[in-house]
Amino acid sequence: MNDLEIVIGLEVHTQVKTESKIFCACSTKFESPPNTNICPVCCGYPGVLPVFNEKVLSLALKVSCALNCNINKDIYFERKSYFYPDLPKNYQISQYKMPLGEKGYLEISTGRKIIINRVHMEEDAGKLIHKDNYSLVDFNRTGTPLLEIVSDPDIHSPQEAYDYLNSMKLLLIYIGVSDCDMEKGSLRCDANVSLRKKGAAKLGIRVELKNMNTFNGVRAALEYEVKRQSKVINKGENVVQETRLWDFQKLKTVVMRTKSDAHDYRYFPEPDLLNFCVSDELIESVKKSVGELPLEKKRRFMKNYDILEKEINVLISYPWLSKFFEEIILFYPKAKDVCNWLIGPFLEQVNNLDNGFSAVKISAENFSKIVKFFSEGKLNNLGAKKVLALGLTTNEDIDSIIEREKLVQVSDHEELLKFVEEVISSNPKAVQEYLEGKQKSIMFLVGQVMKNTRGKANPKVAKDILERRIQI
Amino acid sequence: MIDIISLTGLDISEGISKGGFKANEIYSFYYNRIKKIGSDLNCFVDVYAEGLTCEGRSPLKGVPIAIKDNICIKGKRITCASKILSSHIAVYDATVVERLKKSGLVVVGTTNMDEFAFGSSTENSFYGPAKNPWDKSRVVGGSSGGSAAAVAARIVPFALGSDTGGSIRQPSSLCGVVGFKPTYGRVSRFGLIAFSSSLDQIGPITTNFTDCASLLNIICGYDENDSTSVSLEVPDFTKSLQDNIEGLRVGVPKEYFGEGLDPEVRDAINKVIEVLKNKKAEIVEISLPTTDYAVAAYYIIASSEASSNLQRFDGIKYGIRAKCNGLKELYAKTRKEGFGEETQRRVLLGTYSLSSGYYDAYYLKALKVRRLIKNDFDSAFKKVDVILTPTSPTTAFKIGEKSDPLSMYLSDIYTISTNLAGLPAVSFPCGFTKGNLPVGCQIIGKEFDESTLVRVGYSYQSATDFHKKIPKE
Repeated sequence: MNDLEIVIGLEVHTQVKTESKIFCACSTKFESPPNTNICPVCCGYPGVLPVFNEKVLSLALKVSCALNCNINKDIYFERKSYFYPDLPKNYQISQYKMPLGEKGYLEISTGRKIIINRVHMEEDAGKLIHKDNYSLVDFNRTGTPLLEIVSDPDIHSPQEAYDYLNSMKLLLIYIGVSDCDMEKGSLRCDANVSLRKKGAAKLGIRVELKNMNTFNGVRAALEYEVKRQSKVINKGENVVQETRLWDFQKLKTVVMRTKSDAHDYRYFPEPDLLNFCVSDELIESVKKSVGELPLEKKRRFMKNYDILEKEINVLISYPWLSKFFEEIILFYPKAKDVCNWLIGPFLEQVNNLDNGFSAVKISAENFSKIVKFFSEGKLNNLGAKKVLALGLTTNEDIDSIIEREKLVQVSDHEELLKFVEEVISSNPKAVQEYLEGKQKSIMFLVGQVMKNTRGKANPKVAKDILERRIQI
Repeated sequence: MIDIISLTGLDISEGISKGGFKANEIYSFYYNRIKKIGSDLNCFVDVYAEGLTCEGRSPLKGVPIAIKDNICIKGKRITCASKILSSHIAVYDATVVERLKKSGLVVVGTTNMDEFAFGSSTENSFYGPAKNPWDKSRVVGGSSGGSAAAVAARIVPFALGSDTGGSIRQPSSLCGVVGFKPTYGRVSRFGLIAFSSSLDQIGPITTNFTDCASLLNIICGYDENDSTSVSLEVPDFTKSLQDNIEGLRVGVPKEYFGEGLDPEVRDAINKVIEVLKNKKAEIVEISLPTTDYAVAAYYIIASSEASSNLQRFDGIKYGIRAKCNGLKELYAKTRKEGFGEETQRRVLLGTYSLSSGYYDAYYLKALKVRRLIKNDFDSAFKKVDVILTPTSPTTAFKIGEKSDPLSMYLSDIYTISTNLAGLPAVSFPCGFTKGNLPVGCQIIGKEFDESTLVRVGYSYQSATDFHKKIPKE
């Protein structure tokens, strides 16, 4: 294995977020009842003609620009022919010879720039639902706009492939082109993998892998396949050029078809659509709309804020979160504190909301107050979390929540002393144990003070007073 | 009663609006003719006992029209004269049908054709060959043969056809009527079951240029459902119904008068030239040197596109489905049982020429030839305003006479180039042979210059009577 180099190329299909399909006016809504978002055009009825949805072009351009591709301005579609029941015309309108974007790159978290071979537009197929002795077809997905993003064979480990996919997903989410939900099929990935002697110029014989439904699945399938191929090579045999399916239950790849069954797609220019030219103005305006990409943002955060890389990774993994972070910073500049509250209690509470981020109403200013009050000791941890929970989806003024719920932390010695005395006298056993050296008991007593103050006591101050009183 | 069959569509519509006769009288008059004469000629696939009347208005309101069986009429059977679609009901109206309905025309039924428009004789129909009203032992031409025969026999005032390589003009020539193929992009193809998407164009078949112009006014125009339709203002073609071609430069390409041209056809065409000369048109001999390559290029391009367009007929979604075991057999048996011989030949030819390893030698080469043919016309049209040729090298041949596909393909030798170049062209009757078979003359125009073709045709018909001859019943 050590003298073999792994060569991987990835083919990512992502649905593009448009209201309507790429060649007709049907809705692209997911999870509608079967065959309800369909019309004669997307069902390939006799006599129908496609009409290109130009919204797809600007989104596809956005991806091509974000991936640093050269743009082919003269655009035409081609027909890719193969017979399958989920493809109503038995050809897919796609791009072949002149993809929209070519020769770009995607920088991944390790800093490597993976070469992008091409970005092209096409229509999605429908879905087959297999029953015991028959199959059903749902054409709702047919004609959903799709981008195919193909990397060069420029990826050299299953982990790097995993990184590439995560970076790609984040980029697509950032620029607002796709929600990249693999469960809904809005992002899909096939892989090509081959091995060659280190330093060899020629690529080895490649195997195409399909049916991976998660990024982990892609990595696992590639790991399996690398092992399988290296065994074959080490036995002195040749790898067979074929397409294999990942079986995620048995955790192995199985042959789907060999090269001799390969399709001849008989590409030719789609005569129902005219060639057109992408204007420089459109390219310029799309370029401007791309905005800051995830890695650029990461670099800026590392430079500007004193927070750990792994924390920044969490912040930038949600475009919304990183934006919110910077809004809060404007009101309360201690980045570390803000970050801790965001990736800690905030994310935890958001994850429990049915609608996630979209249900959040709290303003950056109100959020900054919670962090500030916690840092300054006005709120303790419990109190701050409670305030956050109450304000998260209402954006109620933080000061009025604290006042209404009487959550101001009690740090005042005189006031706490009463509670401490009371706890000491009613828990002699714990006091005794502490005196005998059982450190844990002090925390139990602090807990009792917290309980009696209904969580308002400053636990640190309470502990100090307890220790001092018991020692006396 | 007035002799309805000698009236133009405009006359009929005017008669209805002025109360001379009632729309339903006209309808039943033609319906009865279709039943009486049409079934003998086998020129209809379906006839509607009650016409599809509509509220729209136009100078042709109330006039019956027949539609080639490859243009969708919502709720009606559309078969392309193929077994595979013999049970298919259209779920929407083609744009041209919508336009006809909005103009108040009355659709009487669908006309016979070569299966999927593959042919030049209407013999390749699942419903059997149509017969020529001038001689029932002879073909009607094709593929819009049913439409041409129906108009020639005056069992319907006019019809729509589609023209991919001559499918309107050649049958119009063989039946003695006016068949007009507009510029590619002038008429929406939405709802026309595609044969060859880059060549197909819908057009009118009428007995005279007055009706031709009125129908063009209705069907031409941009359609947002057809990306290849052109957003250009459509002139009022009836304004070109003028008997005036003085100074018009008429090109006569020498390549269209060579070997294979029937001498009787040649003589008839020469007489057209004389008529035009008398009207002070200027006759210019020109050359279209790439003419010889047109048929070969056409059959590669048209079959390639057809093979792709016909992939959707697979037994999964609509049309017939063969009894089978498993998916591969479902495809193979459905298509073998559902497609006729010529259709299978074209699908195979097209599939072959698009296959990897052959694409460059066939399809790509054919596209290059297509460009050269277009260039030929472009330079010719720098010297002339229109080009005059025979429509077909022969008059109507016997049913069953051309069993060899290649000789059949050569029937379109004079019409194919204009489709490859996307130009408008019209065939009109210009004489009869000794055997009383009609001869057609073709005039080709510049891109989007249908008006001049209407003017030339109208001028010619003002001086001649061939278009008024009606076959014996």
